[in-house]
Amino acid sequence: MSRPGDILLSVKDISLRFGGVRALTDVSFDIHEGEIFAIIGPNGAGKSSMLNCINGFYHPQDGTITFKGEERRQMRPHEAAAQGISRTFQNIALFKGMTTLENVMTGRMLKMRASFVEQAFYMLRGRQEEIAHREKVEEVIDFLEIQSIRKTPVGRLPYGLQKRVELARALAAEPQLLLLDEPMAGMNVEEKEDMCRFVLSTNHELGTTIALIEHDMGVVMDLSDRVVVLDYGKKLAEGTPDEVRGNQDVIDAYLGVSHD
Amino acid sequence: MLYREAGQYKTSYSADQAMLTIPLDRWFVFALTAFAIIGVPLLASEYLMGSILIPVLILSIAALGLNILTGYCGQLSLGTGAFMAAGAYLAYKIATNIVWLPIWVVIPLAGLCAAAIGIAFGLPSLRIKGFYLAVATLAAQFFLLWLFVKVPWFVNDSISGVPPAPPRSVFGFQVTGAAAGNEAKYLFVLAFVIALAWIARNLARSRIGRSWMAIRDMDIAAELVGIRPLPTKLSAFAISSFFCGVAGALWALCYINSVEPTAFDINRSFQVLFMVIVGGLGSVLGSFLGAAFIFLLPILLNSAPGWIGYSVASDTITHIEFMLFGVLIIFFLIVEPHGLARLWQIAKEKLRLWPFPY
Repeated sequence: MSRPGDILLSVKDISLRFGGVRALTDVSFDIHEGEIFAIIGPNGAGKSSMLNCINGFYHPQDGTITFKGEERRQMRPHEAAAQGISRTFQNIALFKGMTTLENVMTGRMLKMRASFVEQAFYMLRGRQEEIAHREKVEEVIDFLEIQSIRKTPVGRLPYGLQKRVELARALAAEPQLLLLDEPMAGMNVEEKEDMCRFVLSTNHELGTTIALIEHDMGVVMDLSDRVVVLDYGKKLAEGTPDEVRGNQDVIDAYLGVSHD
Repeated sequence: MLYREAGQYKTSYSADQAMLTIPLDRWFVFALTAFAIIGVPLLASEYLMGSILIPVLILSIAALGLNILTGYCGQLSLGTGAFMAAGAYLAYKIATNIVWLPIWVVIPLAGLCAAAIGIAFGLPSLRIKGFYLAVATLAAQFFLLWLFVKVPWFVNDSISGVPPAPPRSVFGFQVTGAAAGNEAKYLFVLAFVIALAWIARNLARSRIGRSWMAIRDMDIAAELVGIRPLPTKLSAFAISSFFCGVAGALWALCYINSVEPTAFDINRSFQVLFMVIVGGLGSVLGSFLGAAFIFLLPILLNSAPGWIGYSVASDTITHIEFMLFGVLIIFFLIVEPHGLARLWQIAKEKLRLWPFPY
């Protein structure tokens, strides 16, 4: 399954501190184009902080992040979005008052160019864009099989579907790098299977590079091409799922041994 | 049932994204607009047009404006009166100093000036939210009104400080000032209402409307999809203030026929805020329903005892009015934050299946 491509994102010696708390210490890894890359570790290991650094929510004190060969400093989240990084959140961050369709349409925000006047009069590009992007959005809606909830305000949807809408919004932006923060958290087995299927087909059919955080080891080991393990903000191990599974440090810190 | 949504298939995205997707709705709105343009001036009495329809229509514009800011973008504002005053004073200033400029250009121009002022007072919105922002806009309310009263330049050094509206005409019909006929004024105001309501609906369904709602619902996630918070919030302030400015200019020039500060005091801000809350946050229809409801309720209270041959002292009525408004605001905030517009929608949904429960 491993298809090593060029390095898409390179994280080098990242350190992030909140006052005296060291959330991340000298973490480095590379994410290659087209792979599914998993970040795992115990609670509080700094996994979400890592995504927040990549995404521009946090600004690490030391280290560099290079995306598509370009080193970036102090980037804001909307700039990261403009560069082609989308993400979903651990606790869903949808626009609750808007419908599924509107939520997914916001994912196309950066691709729309209509001027204020064109939008105010719903003419020329104002109208053309709405329809053209609607077609793209419908493709994503078909892809994630959420046709039936198009016009439902997302606040009324069950948890599993909300997660799916959030993924749809991220995909609508046609990202090069998709960051998924615990996409399967709190789901039942069927929902997890659906989500796995969507993550895999996103990777295979759309060719999107995916970095995901997940606690369900079965899911991680099945889905990902490579895994990095964090513990107390430090990198413990990196490698293919099998390598990581056999690593004694990782077993001690996180995986544990089965007693049967 | 004549009115039904089932079986109304849309075969293109453009049809699905139309403003009114159901033909019957579309015909109803067309008919209503046509009646408002042709029927009302023919049928309505002077009193109905001059004292009820014109102010209700103007206040709906203001309510639309506040709804854009508070309902769609989620930024609470108590400065509506001030932005209306800005529109009124600047419309007067422009109309009296550039006499050749047609009045239908003057009023949008005054709206643009109000928009610029709105942007200035919207700048703190990046840093402060909720109640604190409301207090910041309250500062706008008091400061701007103080400014317009204190600086005689705005009223061309008028001695009374309350200059009469300059008489101006459109197509030969006088539309502003005391001498203008109510029909002409009504149609003039109506033209603005139709245009602005249409624009508000368009904005709400376009990218800019979605970015406002995204900021309202979750600003962190909004930033994530590439929405820049400051320009988005400022655009809401600008457009909201534009609407309020136009409403203020029309209020001064077409309704009360003079430019006076008391028409735009803090009570006006609260009145428009109540309209938006009662009518429905984040709804164009709600702005109209709210404006009509809040403006008509006191009139109804005043005249209702007379109809049933019963007289109540006018101060008692005022007290009842206060109590009723208080109760209504609390009721809507707790029970139905989306206001009359949502109640209307629920009624439609229920009627669709009536008499079956599901």
